[in-house]
Amino acid sequence: MEGIEIALLGVALAVGLAGSGSAIGIGIVGQSAAGLISEDPDKFGQTLLLQALPGTQGIYGLLAGFLIMQSVGIIGEEIVPLTPSQGYSFLMAALPIAIAGLSSGIYQGRVLSSTINLIAKRPEEMGKGIVYAVMVETYAVFALLATILMLFGIDV
Amino acid sequence: MPIIEMKKVFLLGHQQEREKIFSLLHNLGSVELLDVKSGTTWAEFEALLEPDQPPEDVSKIDTIRSDIRFCLDFFQRHFPLRKSILEQFTGKKLDLTSGQYAEYVKALDRIEEIHKSCRQSEEKLVRIRNEETQTQNLIGDLQPWSALDLPLELVKDGDWVLMGLYTVAAENYPDLQDALAGNVSDYYLDEVFSDDDTVYFFFSGLSEEKPVVDDLFKNEMVTTITFTNLSGTPAQNIKSLQEKLDTLKKDRNDVLSEVESLLEHRSMLMACYDYIDNEYAKNQAVANLGRTNNSFLLEGWAPVPVLGDLETMVTGKTETAVLATRDPEPDEDVPVLLHNSGPVEPYEVVTRLYSSPKKNELDPTPFMAPFFFLFFGICLSDAGYGIVLGLLAYFLSRKLKLEGMGKQLINLLIYGGFSALAFGILLGSYFGDLIKLPPLLFDPLEEPMLMLIGSFVLGLIHVYFGMALQAYRNIKAGQPLSALYDQGFWFIFLNGLILLLLEFSLIGQLLAVIGAAGLIITQGRHQRSIVLKFFSGLLSLYNITQYLSDILSYSRLFALGLASVVIGMVVNSVGDLVAGSIIGYVALVIILVGGHFFNVIISTLSAYVHTSRLQYLEFFNKFFEGGGRSFQPFRVKNNYIDIVETDEG
Repeated sequence: MEGIEIALLGVALAVGLAGSGSAIGIGIVGQSAAGLISEDPDKFGQTLLLQALPGTQGIYGLLAGFLIMQSVGIIGEEIVPLTPSQGYSFLMAALPIAIAGLSSGIYQGRVLSSTINLIAKRPEEMGKGIVYAVMVETYAVFALLATILMLFGIDV
Repeated sequence: MPIIEMKKVFLLGHQQEREKIFSLLHNLGSVELLDVKSGTTWAEFEALLEPDQPPEDVSKIDTIRSDIRFCLDFFQRHFPLRKSILEQFTGKKLDLTSGQYAEYVKALDRIEEIHKSCRQSEEKLVRIRNEETQTQNLIGDLQPWSALDLPLELVKDGDWVLMGLYTVAAENYPDLQDALAGNVSDYYLDEVFSDDDTVYFFFSGLSEEKPVVDDLFKNEMVTTITFTNLSGTPAQNIKSLQEKLDTLKKDRNDVLSEVESLLEHRSMLMACYDYIDNEYAKNQAVANLGRTNNSFLLEGWAPVPVLGDLETMVTGKTETAVLATRDPEPDEDVPVLLHNSGPVEPYEVVTRLYSSPKKNELDPTPFMAPFFFLFFGICLSDAGYGIVLGLLAYFLSRKLKLEGMGKQLINLLIYGGFSALAFGILLGSYFGDLIKLPPLLFDPLEEPMLMLIGSFVLGLIHVYFGMALQAYRNIKAGQPLSALYDQGFWFIFLNGLILLLLEFSLIGQLLAVIGAAGLIITQGRHQRSIVLKFFSGLLSLYNITQYLSDILSYSRLFALGLASVVIGMVVNSVGDLVAGSIIGYVALVIILVGGHFFNVIISTLSAYVHTSRLQYLEFFNKFFEGGGRSFQPFRVKNNYIDIVETDEG
């Protein structure tokens, strides 16, 4: 394999896995939210906000993928010729957000699913439920950080 | 002071003025009422007090309240008042002038009649719905038989002939046919209808062969279908039932239009509900009084700044009431009311979402506010987004009449917009890279390590500040040594480690050793034996991981700041891909506007929640306990209406 294919595998993993994490997380929250709406349609706005939270992992994955695509020239002028070693560097750099994006998206979805139950009973405590969810998201942010720092360090 | 001082107030008055005084207090809305009888002070006077008599009005008021509630819910079920997504967050109320309100409340005696109409309509609707369900079920049962051209009243066993409608599982039907052909001499079998799993058939045979037939049917698990009280062919029945459904639908529309004519009372009902609800609260409060034959005593908490108003009210508007106040005693459960002024005020919402401070505790709001402002701006760090967010929030604050926490949140976002604008200019980001201007400070994409280190430094300052506040609390509580042991040594130790990291080895080593030694000696001071003292001291050094993870946590400032800018750049490059033709430029505009708008929303959400987290977990846990009880004054609360002041009056 040439370097470029390996780097694109990194793009695929970052966008695909982190996106899957978000999709699953958002799905879990959506199920609970729809249940709550059957009782209290006026909470739609609040539940929509909660449902959007696990969406960030997918965005982080897309961001990492975009940065790689830009570095290797898929977006923009010309494709940069990469050695396999450089390609692997991009792949490795993509892994943190791919892995942590997948797991944190799912678990954030679970926490928020409980938050939906929380606001069914005590809507005024929504802020606390969000804080719990942010605890999970922290690790996606750190993974993104590692990914970005690695990407900035790769010479092409 | 950010936390308002409270005084205990006692109000003694004559029974005749009770209602008047209560209305006055209710409108003043700044006294929290307590149950006099639960206070220990009054135990010795118990003999003097009259026992509780349930206020005669309470149950009556409660009935009216639930009647109105029923009507409003009933209206809402059939003619819902829709709320927009925005209103679901902010609530939507009916605006009334005080004149309209008084007018509506005068109509209170019409409630019974409206409630009766609603109740009747509801009963009719329920009956119609039940009939509809029955009819639909019957139609469903008849549907498979619609091809049967035989009046249903004729389908029954006679003296000589068996006749009936049956169903059987489709897989058993061939077996049944074989068995009948083999065992029964004369019969007629007609498959009327079949679907994937069931066959509907008509069967006729001789009465004398009934036992054989019954046996066969039992073996193949055949079900007998009967339609009692129906005459005519199934098709005729279905047709007449359909007509019945149409009539029912018409009936329902008639009832609904009756309900619709009642809808004009909805505003009146809302006003009355709020009126009655407040009356109910007043009556409930009366139960907390201490009473004798002719006097009553009221106990509560009032913030010091309103004491003047309270005094004027009591002396000016009543004839018998006497007001007394005293300072809270040390063990009393004083409610907490935050009051921050000026630019700090919106940040109260962040504290309140976490917890109210305990009485005598420092209100963290003013200390946290500047950091919140900074961190929020760094997380968004785009001049364009800052302007959009600021304008959006400003527009919302003008459009919605928000109170309390909602208003604070909106103002916090407006400030956040300014902060993001500032950091956008400093770091050179305008809608991602849409407008290319050189940064005033540096470009984080070019020098990511500088940005990361900057985040850590801010985090370090934040954490040190939290430690300093705890040290201040310790000193104020008369424990200056605790401040030295628990905060001072850590401060020395951490600074030593940082200097080591920066390769100022000599002074770094010195500080680190002094700090560590201090910690080892002092951190086990609560243990009894010397060995335990030493080991818990040594073990306390392990807390360095806590400080390390606290500081590393601030790297999110860098990551989120970069993320919002880079997502903006993604939007711009996607736009670039489509630009070119006329359609392309239209698409470009749509992509740019939609994409950046989406990014503003999602990045603002991230900025808000992650900045809050840094306050709650990294900052507050250094010095703030929380868990205080918020001040809940006895005041007018409206669920459905807002009284607005008119221009004329």
